[in-house]
Amino acid sequence: MTIRVRLDRVLYERRMSLSELADRVGITVANLQILKSGRARALRISTLDALCRALDCQPGDLLGFDHSPTDDPDSPDAEDGLD
Amino acid sequence: MRALGPESVSSFLKIAVDVVYAAACIAVAVVGPLCLVMLVYLPFGPAVPRLSLGGHLWVSPLPTLALVAVLLVVEAYVGCLVVILNRIRRIMETLVRGDPFHPDNVARLRWVGAAMVGLEAAAYGVRALLDQVGPHSAALRASDGWFNPTAWFAVLVVFVLAEVFREGARLRRDSELTI
Repeated sequence: MTIRVRLDRVLYERRMSLSELADRVGITVANLQILKSGRARALRISTLDALCRALDCQPGDLLGFDHSPTDDPDSPDAEDGLD
Repeated sequence: MRALGPESVSSFLKIAVDVVYAAACIAVAVVGPLCLVMLVYLPFGPAVPRLSLGGHLWVSPLPTLALVAVLLVVEAYVGCLVVILNRIRRIMETLVRGDPFHPDNVARLRWVGAAMVGLEAAAYGVRALLDQVGPHSAALRASDGWFNPTAWFAVLVVFVLAEVFREGARLRRDSELTI
């Protein structure tokens, strides 16, 4: 996936832990870990809204686009592994 | 009535499948030892088995060897049914849990389809065997036709369902990874 989630950086700047953010946003720490590690397939607008409110930031602060090519197995062209 | 979860249509279907599965297991448990008894009886008994019950004499329509072969085939057939029903039970368990597109259901459906192909192919072999047995088999022939399009259509439906569940499992995984 070439969309990067810069959650670590924003959490560091706000001096906030992942569990604290999870409590504020109402998402489990496990799901935030999935988001942070880039394994998420999709992000709801409502979730992005809640994150931006909790972190007092803009969506562009959290999300970035990586122009470099990737060998990510989760890319849409990869096989789904269920064959 | 809900489609999924407890006290749903799926849960009642699961009860029905469980009952049929139990009956098939009982049938395997009964026919198996009967096969063993007949195999032991084979070298010592008459060519055509006879059984006297309450003054009535029952004479087998088949010779002992053919009867043993039929019992073995019945045991194998019901055994395959147990395997199929067990996989269907596992699928129904995921349905009752409200998680029908579990990835394991794809393989289970494919196994059910493969077992149905095996059963249908074995049925052709049984019919050929009965044809060879001779006039004694006339009473046991179920039908004169060889090709059963309904059965093969059912096999096709099962394999198509497996592909539908494969796509469902992919969508389920996507949903799990949607934050």
